Amino acid sequence: MTAVAAPVRLAGPGRLRRWRPGRAAVVALILVGIAVALAPVYWMLATSLKTPFAATSLTPSYFPHHLSMSNYNELLVKGVVPFKTYLANSVLTSVIASVVAVVISALAGYSFSRSRWRLRGPTSVAVLATQMLPLVVFVGPLYLLLLDAHLLNTYTGLVIGYTSFAIPFGSWLMKGFFDSVPVELEEAARVDGYGRLSILFRVVIPTVIPGLLTTGVFVFINSWNNLLYPLTLITNNSHQTLPPGLLDSFVGEFNTDWGGMMAAAVLTTIPLAVAFFAVQRYMVRGMTAGALAGT
Amino acid sequence: MASISVRDVEKRFGNGPAVLRECNLDIADHEFLVLVGPSGSGKTTLLRIIAGLEAATSGEIYFGDRLVNDVDVGDRDIAMVFQNYGLYPHMTVRNNMAFGLRRRKLPKDAIDQKVREAATMLGIENLLDRRPRQLSGGQRQRVALGRAIVRDPAVFLLDEPLSNLDAHLRLQMRTEILRVHRAVTATTVYVTHDQVEAMTMGDRIAVMNNGLIQQVGTPEELYDRPVNRFVAGFIGTPAMGFLTCSVNRNGDRAELVRDGVCLRLTEEQSRKLTLPHGAAVVAGVRPENLRPVSADGADPELSVVKGAIEVVEPLGPEQHLVVDVGGEMVTARVDRDVAARRGEKVSLAVGAGRAHVFSIDSGEALL
Repeated sequence: MTAVAAPVRLAGPGRLRRWRPGRAAVVALILVGIAVALAPVYWMLATSLKTPFAATSLTPSYFPHHLSMSNYNELLVKGVVPFKTYLANSVLTSVIASVVAVVISALAGYSFSRSRWRLRGPTSVAVLATQMLPLVVFVGPLYLLLLDAHLLNTYTGLVIGYTSFAIPFGSWLMKGFFDSVPVELEEAARVDGYGRLSILFRVVIPTVIPGLLTTGVFVFINSWNNLLYPLTLITNNSHQTLPPGLLDSFVGEFNTDWGGMMAAAVLTTIPLAVAFFAVQRYMVRGMTAGALAGT
Repeated sequence: MASISVRDVEKRFGNGPAVLRECNLDIADHEFLVLVGPSGSGKTTLLRIIAGLEAATSGEIYFGDRLVNDVDVGDRDIAMVFQNYGLYPHMTVRNNMAFGLRRRKLPKDAIDQKVREAATMLGIENLLDRRPRQLSGGQRQRVALGRAIVRDPAVFLLDEPLSNLDAHLRLQMRTEILRVHRAVTATTVYVTHDQVEAMTMGDRIAVMNNGLIQQVGTPEELYDRPVNRFVAGFIGTPAMGFLTCSVNRNGDRAELVRDGVCLRLTEEQSRKLTLPHGAAVVAGVRPENLRPVSADGADPELSVVKGAIEVVEPLGPEQHLVVDVGGEMVTARVDRDVAARRGEKVSLAVGAGRAHVFSIDSGEALL
């Protein structure tokens, strides 16, 4: 006997959703939001591909009529500005700051999550409170500290600056991840005979890798974009990073090289975009970790 | 292998009230003991103290003759199965099971062999390369069991291991755990709030309530001779029905009476019950000891409970009648052929000597 499958009609939620005016308005609003967010990115990309004349025209065009790679050529091939030096310095300091901040934030976050010491509550709140102050507040004290330690104009000094501002938020981020790891995992490892440090590195850390990635990318993005600290702490051009380097190279007293600056901005954004898209799934989870029971 | 002795154990968290009080328990080598009680009774805390995951505020824990209060959990030679399994999510099933053995620095071949043997015993050989998130609840439970038995521990501790499984799987895993216990013969302490699980699995059962061990005994002892009203009501499904009565002495014989109730005690019971005529007590009757009789032709010597049927619960081979006896409810387990309707008056005969009697004040058993 041959079984003939009857045609199945989807009912209820499975059916195609009908377009309603309210729904259309929401979609339109989202599209407008996306356009507003992407407009500067488009403008950056378009300007970088314009000729120097078109880029500084008093009646700017929305589209580059003649695609020109001259801005990229001057940056990468001719080396008009020390772009590659700035790029290398940015990569070096941001990566080291990310690694250092991740290690310290992970240990601090684990302590905030698991240890039961007396001043844990006030301390963790105090750490978070530092995030309520603007970056510029710390520049003065940091400058004096690094001056005393002879660390001005050094990569180490810059890394300390980046790390110090990233650790408080990183610790809280990691605390959220550690909170979502069931204590039973650690207890099971204790029953299996492992000590505290072994448990941390063999059981707990591997389960919060998304958290480590999130914290790392967060610190990397903040360090990469940081203009204030390198502008203040670094005066030597050979140690300078991209944000102040580009500002110094393209903005003159009488003239701004918009095309060159936008080309440099595009190249500067690429590592950030790659880092962000690689871990964006984890980042969203990281920001909401512990918000729901069982997450 | 090891026997376990719990001596005068008390536990407080901070300055709070005691969550465990005067706990004394002896568990024989190879025994399967079930700690059962309602939520908050202290059973999991006691298990964690035995495991070494929690320190007792006072009292002593012995494994055999060895005092283990200050012995680290990893050195107690125990294995534990947690309520939510506690499997390492980043490791495969194979590595989950081998993790404890690697700590003992066993040769790789020996570890592989032990893992394979345990996996075969539990029927999870085909899952060894999967990660926990790729397993169903029942499979995870098997892996958790496998991780415990692979270590060949002296003491096997299980903390409500079946509470996350559906009813069908729970039944299946109950058998599985008993099979494993017979195979590994480790002394086993099993925590559950499900008295059916306790009755079907334990060599002996310790019933806990409010941080106190109420009674320790075999399933039959707890069912037939509960030491107090709590144990009587907790053990058995449907639960024992309780009726407030007064003692009526008539020569050598005593009976427990109230409106619609007359429970005649046997001569031996009458002798044991030392309360005077008119004293108030609580009578307890198990559902299977109540059977419907005709109201007219009932034997005057028979113990009878009269009331109105409140609920009829058909269960296939039998039915449960919840009967309102002057405001107090008793349940009768009767044959499916008995015609019963809600609101109908019913007379229920109680088998001779089947009534339990408890103090109205302390709840202690008086017989």
